[in-house]
Amino acid sequence: MAETEAETKSVTSRMRQRPIVRLGFLLISQSVIVSVICCTAGVLALLLLPVLAMNTYISENALMPGSASSMLSHQEILEANKLVRDIASLTSKPAGAAVESRGLIAQYMSNLGAEVNYHKFHPRSNQFHPLHFFSGPGSEAIQDNFSCSLYGVNTVGIVRAPHGDGKEAIVLVTPYDSVRGGVGEALSLGIAYSVFSLLTRVSWLAKDFIWLVADSQYGEYAPVTAWLRDYHTPVFGDLSSLNTEMCDENENIFKLKENSIPERNISYTFRHAGTMAAALVLKVAYRNEHFEDTLSIYAEASNGQMPNLDLINIVNYLAVHRQGLRVKVEKLWSLLEYKWLRILGEILESLGKLAKSLNPDWKFGISASDYVEGTATLASSLYYQALGVPTGPHGAFRDYQVDAITLEISPKYSFNNKDRRSDFLLQGGRLIEGIIRSVNNLLEKFHQSFFLYLLTSPGKFVSVGVYMIVFALLVAPLPLVAASLYADSNDLNPASRKDKKPINFDDLGGLLKSWKWLNSVKRVFVVHLWGAIVSLLPYFISQICDYTPTTNFLIWISLSMLILLILHQILGSPYSHMREIHSQEGEWALLKSVTISSLFIGLSLMSVINFATAEIGALLIVPTTLMAYPLKLDIKARSLRSLSRMICNLVLGVISFPPTTFFLLKGVLEGFKGINAGDFWNWIESLWAWNSATYLYIGMVHLPCWVLCVHILLHSC
Amino acid sequence: MAEMEAKKEEKHSKRSSFWVWVMASVVFRLILVYFHKNLNLSSRPEVSTPLTSIRRLAEGYWLKQSSMSPYAGSMYHGSPLLLSLIGPLTVQRIQGKPNYLLCSLLFVLADVVSAVLIRATGQKLQTAYSQSLKLLELDNLSRSSEILSSGDVAALVYLWNPFTIVACVGLSTSPIENLAIILSLYGACTRLPSLAAFGWVVATHLSLYPAILIIPLIFLLGYGLDAPPRKLFVKRTHGKGGDNPSSGSSCQQEELLIQIKLPLTFSWKPVMHFLFWASVWSVYVLALCSLSVKQKGGLWEMFKSTYGFILTVEDLSPNMGVLWYFFAEVFDFFRNFFLIVFHMNILFMILPLAIRLNHRPCFLAFVYIMISSMLKSYPSVGDSALCLGLFGLFIFELADMQFSFFLFSGYVGVSLLSPVMHNLWIWRGTGNANFYYATAMAFACFQIILVVQSTSAMLNHDRKLRKLYVTKP
Repeated sequence: MAETEAETKSVTSRMRQRPIVRLGFLLISQSVIVSVICCTAGVLALLLLPVLAMNTYISENALMPGSASSMLSHQEILEANKLVRDIASLTSKPAGAAVESRGLIAQYMSNLGAEVNYHKFHPRSNQFHPLHFFSGPGSEAIQDNFSCSLYGVNTVGIVRAPHGDGKEAIVLVTPYDSVRGGVGEALSLGIAYSVFSLLTRVSWLAKDFIWLVADSQYGEYAPVTAWLRDYHTPVFGDLSSLNTEMCDENENIFKLKENSIPERNISYTFRHAGTMAAALVLKVAYRNEHFEDTLSIYAEASNGQMPNLDLINIVNYLAVHRQGLRVKVEKLWSLLEYKWLRILGEILESLGKLAKSLNPDWKFGISASDYVEGTATLASSLYYQALGVPTGPHGAFRDYQVDAITLEISPKYSFNNKDRRSDFLLQGGRLIEGIIRSVNNLLEKFHQSFFLYLLTSPGKFVSVGVYMIVFALLVAPLPLVAASLYADSNDLNPASRKDKKPINFDDLGGLLKSWKWLNSVKRVFVVHLWGAIVSLLPYFISQICDYTPTTNFLIWISLSMLILLILHQILGSPYSHMREIHSQEGEWALLKSVTISSLFIGLSLMSVINFATAEIGALLIVPTTLMAYPLKLDIKARSLRSLSRMICNLVLGVISFPPTTFFLLKGVLEGFKGINAGDFWNWIESLWAWNSATYLYIGMVHLPCWVLCVHILLHSC
Repeated sequence: MAEMEAKKEEKHSKRSSFWVWVMASVVFRLILVYFHKNLNLSSRPEVSTPLTSIRRLAEGYWLKQSSMSPYAGSMYHGSPLLLSLIGPLTVQRIQGKPNYLLCSLLFVLADVVSAVLIRATGQKLQTAYSQSLKLLELDNLSRSSEILSSGDVAALVYLWNPFTIVACVGLSTSPIENLAIILSLYGACTRLPSLAAFGWVVATHLSLYPAILIIPLIFLLGYGLDAPPRKLFVKRTHGKGGDNPSSGSSCQQEELLIQIKLPLTFSWKPVMHFLFWASVWSVYVLALCSLSVKQKGGLWEMFKSTYGFILTVEDLSPNMGVLWYFFAEVFDFFRNFFLIVFHMNILFMILPLAIRLNHRPCFLAFVYIMISSMLKSYPSVGDSALCLGLFGLFIFELADMQFSFFLFSGYVGVSLLSPVMHNLWIWRGTGNANFYYATAMAFACFQIILVVQSTSAMLNHDRKLRKLYVTKP
């Protein structure tokens, strides 16, 4: 008795010496309460993000948007109108329209005295580069074969800056499908042309201006990537000669076309300007907007990368304050109809009012409708960043560290209204001119403002410092619970130290007591290895067989199960020396501890690569892993607590399985009708085709973790 | 008898499984070598430092072939001997195969030889240790120390460590450097002064930092292999001898003591041999070097651009160490001062550690290697690989180490985070140098924790031995 007292005394005295250690022990021993509090706080903080959003501001002073009056005059608009008319007349007669419209645009460009060149490219199908993320752009070798008959031709016009040194450039991209081009595309060409013609005459231009008419008959993304790749990979020797070797017959046709254009400025050799300061992709679409002319901004590039916030800021500022456009960013529309969200918004609004009545300086309330809109925008911002698939051709620029956004202007009136067309061209042209004038003022590349942010409206954003808190709250319980489980299973906890058994040196288990986690690590490693194999499978399946998505999906699932079984037989069987440890009681706790640690590492990594994926993934998988508890023990206990835990476990286990998550979310957002098992396959295929890190996350962090959770649930303790 | 048989059987199966794992690791490496272009490991800053990069070596070789000094242009900073040894392999092609293939095979071979040497060292250490435990009549412990063959564990840890694999496939020259260090330790453990001296001289010549290993090597040759503290043996021979009425048995034991050369006295003879051989080998290596660089600047330029380059931290390109960022930031007029401070850091720790751990020279060597791999100017994953491999040699003594799981998770996490941060900084442009440097610091922290914890576990093990010995009935 006295001995135990002395022992506890010594323990307490040791703890008194170091408050930090004491605090750590307290947190670890109360890990259940701490994890409940942290997870709830994490979810609540996520819902609070629209309230915490800040107004955007222009951080880089050099930009000075809108400080100069617009120089775009009716002269340019008239010319632009002429171009639009010419192109429209060309598209009405289909034969040879592609070649002619290309020639026409080049003609118009070179008439202004700009340097013009054609850029021929072969569209490539997206390929799976699992390690693409870690290497830079252009590292994929130019070795993939392409068919020679498929090619597109970009038209590039360059205005050299009279005051510049040719080391910097601004890029404007207008996707134009030379075969099926509509009026919208013609109008976007018109806007770009008006700006282009203005820029050939102005004296203030300090950076070269590149106008890329991207041939979008094979999608809008492919031509821009091809052009950027050729722009950034220096080819020694003539590029066209390289193409001649590969595709002979095409080149002959090409030469003929070249001869038909008697202009000195037009060439096939690739022309360069300096490094790109910023890029804009301009599109015009008629969306049947009833209220006013709107401007939609698309900014998400691959793996949730965003352009510098300043670029969005100047576009937003100029569009709203100078041109009177209504600026939109994507929203998840179905969220707007949810009752509970509106109720939550009203609660927050009344809370804000209450706070304001207490102290007028506290201004954090926003109105309920604002809150709902903000949440819908935030959700879509999170979703598109998490997807990791670029939302437009601007994504290609981000791979080369160029800030770029896509602007989609939709007029109020239909395109057929000829009177409004000039006004529309003027409005769009002035917007683009303003943006280019601003970017032209830049002394360095964009660096002042944020790169990591979520938008809640065009004028409001949540910066990385705020949204990281949400994520940190969600994952904070992970190391604590892992430590507590580990300490429990190793009897390291000072509370449970009393019944310490003498160490038996004779067997390996006793000898390597502090290393017995190795066995669990091996299991976790095997499951992660399985995850890696599973994420490689779709590539091979799609290569080998050509079935419907549903069949592919089923093949994938059955193959994965088979491999899991095989791996379990070969590697999962306990190592002969370790059998003794294996049969111990608390083995599942150690396994859970290792699982949680691996999840923590995986989520932290993912939060650096793509925050949105990590956030959504953490929302799903963190509660599942924290709750996981062997069902057998719960059934044995037969109390209300264990019963509820069992039900929670089962529900969470079902929800966090990636396919069910996908179908559930799809059902909730789009309705359960018409859900097809192949949808998941299509979604996954789009992810890996775009080299999204989310795909690797699902395959190598989420899925293995889920499997391990199920393993713990079914553990035979 | 049957037990003996079973044990033998088990031993046999263990040995065969060891070789299976070795073969598997070789096959795995060859598969990775096949995907060399896709992995592009040789351009990672973690793998190839200015000292170990194969591309720089190829450049140096090219310069040498065009009869210029290989050190012209500040590209190559390695040894001229390495240039003549590996240089031809960088341009040699066998029938249309890519030119890195021969180099890769050489490095794979170096890794396997290192692993075999580690295994032999481990077996030596283990038998010596269990003998000395038996001598202390701690039979229980000595039996348990034989359960797990620490040599096998260490060799497999070295071979299957992702760091080793990456360094080998990424074509850095660190497998060769590691081989030289391991060779010197092996030579000292098997009491071959000439081999130990050769390894030490080559290792020092290649990467300078192994020079501090001369202290553990001298201890190894002078005192013998790792053993429990010498005080215990002294107590044994004197204290117990008086109690024992039958003096015959004590005499016998003393004979046994002499027989297995227990580390009671420092024997100067092998040390003298070692020093002699070390001077012979260094003269030999220097002569070869001077032959190699005779017309191209001579030995002085070689020293300036190899050792000088290491000591003055000229190349500030990012690596996984902690010095590059610091010297990129520090004011120029403080530079020399901090250079001295940083290099003294390593030297300061030599003496106290040598005094405290002189009865365990191999472990002392491990601690020295660990510290120098942490504080050296251009560290790479190859250095950490060597440390972790040697760590496996003391698996029995360090069985009670604390924070083992924490350290493991930390190592895994940081080594995954580091390339991501590098990507964020270099390719995406959304991060900056601080991001990457943070992971370098975290890595250094984990290394510090590992070295502190392992040392304290070793001292605790000594304490436990003393306690068991004193309380023994």
